Amino acid sequence: MKKHTILLHPLGKELVVNDMTPLIDVLHEFGVEFPCGGKGTCGKCQVRLIDGKIDVNEDHRRKLEHFHLPDDRRLACMSYCTSSITLQVDQYEHIILADETDFDFSPECGVGIAVDLGTTTLVTQLVDLTTGKVLAVETMLNPQVKFGADLISRIQAGLDGHSTEMTLLIRKSIGRMIRLMLKSCQQLPGKVVLVGNTVMHRIFSGSDLTPLSCYPFQVEDPGLSLFTPAEIGWDFLSGTDIRFYPSIGSFVGSDILAGIAATGLHRKEQYTALIDLGTNGEIVVGNRDRIICASTAAGPAFEGTNLSMGMRAVTGAISSIRLVDNKMLSSVIGNAEPKGICGSALIDAIAILLQQDLIGIFGEINSGEESIPIDGPIRLTQKDIYEFILAKAAIAAGLTILSKKLSIEISDIQEIYIAGGFGNYIRIEHLLATGMVETTEDKIHKMGNTALIGAKMFLFGNGELAKEILDKTSHINLEGFPEFQDIYISKMILK
Amino acid sequence: MNELIAKLLEAVEFGKIDQKSPYPPQLRGMDGSHELTQQAIEAGIDPQEILEKALIPAMGNVGKKFSENKIFVPQMLMSAKAMGASMVQLKPYFASGAIKSKGTFIIGTVKGDLHDIGKNLVSMMVEGGGWTIVDLGVDVGSDRFIEALKNNPGAVVGLSALLTTTMVNMGEIVSGIKAHVPDTKVLIGGAPVNADFCKSIGADFYAPDPQKAVEYLNKLAS
Repeated sequence: MKKHTILLHPLGKELVVNDMTPLIDVLHEFGVEFPCGGKGTCGKCQVRLIDGKIDVNEDHRRKLEHFHLPDDRRLACMSYCTSSITLQVDQYEHIILADETDFDFSPECGVGIAVDLGTTTLVTQLVDLTTGKVLAVETMLNPQVKFGADLISRIQAGLDGHSTEMTLLIRKSIGRMIRLMLKSCQQLPGKVVLVGNTVMHRIFSGSDLTPLSCYPFQVEDPGLSLFTPAEIGWDFLSGTDIRFYPSIGSFVGSDILAGIAATGLHRKEQYTALIDLGTNGEIVVGNRDRIICASTAAGPAFEGTNLSMGMRAVTGAISSIRLVDNKMLSSVIGNAEPKGICGSALIDAIAILLQQDLIGIFGEINSGEESIPIDGPIRLTQKDIYEFILAKAAIAAGLTILSKKLSIEISDIQEIYIAGGFGNYIRIEHLLATGMVETTEDKIHKMGNTALIGAKMFLFGNGELAKEILDKTSHINLEGFPEFQDIYISKMILK
Repeated sequence: MNELIAKLLEAVEFGKIDQKSPYPPQLRGMDGSHELTQQAIEAGIDPQEILEKALIPAMGNVGKKFSENKIFVPQMLMSAKAMGASMVQLKPYFASGAIKSKGTFIIGTVKGDLHDIGKNLVSMMVEGGGWTIVDLGVDVGSDRFIEALKNNPGAVVGLSALLTTTMVNMGEIVSGIKAHVPDTKVLIGGAPVNADFCKSIGADFYAPDPQKAVEYLNKLAS
């Protein structure tokens, strides 16, 4: 079979591929993201063709025109390699939360590995169990992103016959990350702890995704999964105890269980909340007596997927916006030219536009124009603002309904922890100004990657901590709450 | 145009439910659709005219503005509530035959899917277009649609789904309906659905937003 070379700028990587290889198959490993799952509808996987030729069919040409792209751009998801080419790939640097927060532990022997298996990103840490110190970290994009950004796309891919491929892909990727961390380590880990949402758990385990594809969105046994290294193809390990921690219910998985452990809310007397500002927007409210949680389907707006110029918190993303002398001043990750806007800056922008009376309480652009300039070429469209409002209302309604379920007011919650991919960039006063979290500034704490912190805590002991939390925690379905629609729509108002 | 009718049209379009409702700010303290409908009936205005000259055009304007991204879900809901406050008083005239409905629209979110806000908005807009609504709720399979069609001969059916994993159930429902009650028109809508999918499952129309559903139905009725 004919072979071609692909040169990737600015990585300096050279790949040799077979004729007609789809670019989506090789580029996702290098961090090119395919938020729409390769349907050509989002335009986020564009690459610049520096040298060589990529044929464009009618459909592809229409999409390029639709996104107003220059002649040298291609959508990677619609491109095949038919000759040797040189590509410039923009989306190559990621910043992933790899937490080093201190936590309480009782020392044990040896080393262990904590894995946060996120829908979008993977983070692994090698931990010295005698000191609790992190010895090595690896991060990468979840290679399943080529099947789509959100959980429903992954489930769909599973139903379409890609489940084995997704399972092998994720096991291989995490295996590779673990091997890299062990390179300079003299001993093999005694334990590996994995946490992730229910869909990630099922895919890793090779379990059927059908039960999560439609109502009632419940799996029969969301419990702890044990693996031997041989079972999952991690032959470089031996005798290691590999555990994927149990889900709480429906889509809410062990990443949230770990998040609860990280905040310690299961041992607090006062009501405490954890909000994960991601695609699933999980919310937990409770105290040492009772904990309830829900996923809010905030949608991928916080990850930038549904926004005309949205992107994740990576190089080139506007991560925050301040108002200086009545002008918007933005900071861009990596000090690069702004290429898009990520979730934290979206919150800033809405708060500032509201304060400046440039948008009304329904998000309507007061000038009557289609969009508002943010920085240089970066603009927010009317539709982007509505996407934000839907996500914001989902979180606000979730917090309201969970509080009602516990027969408390949101004001009775004494601490609210904010976790999530862009959590560290969030400006709390702006978060409050949008009405997403209806509390006061002093109660909010940014906590970074709570799933990873919790996974590290689970490395110590023998599962007692997780069991203690699970026994008190239950999942509820927000849509099943009788006043859901009225509450949700009332939270769509910005105030 | 009659002044009461003009006021009612404005109240519904901007979501003024009744006199004490604080929304919208520009109509604060004025009569809402509740009072205005009452006054219109007392003034002897033909109920059919109240529907056709005030409610239908008001909701038509709302639908158009929503379609153009000029307003969003909360404003549409306020208008629908204002319409409801008027409709409730017109109900007896529908029952007596003094007002003629354009037809019956059966709507439901398909099997496996619990999302109902989009479906509810469509159903409010269609009601505001002068149709009678039979709302079957969420997680509805073909048998319930067929049963409803047998109880409402000649009705048009609307299917809603919000997930790619549940929209596939639309195909089965459409073929079930067409097999049992041939000639039934079925329109579909929801975030993951498009015109190609509509064609592939043999449905009759894809409505990208509530207004397009109303326009399609009105064409059928005319």
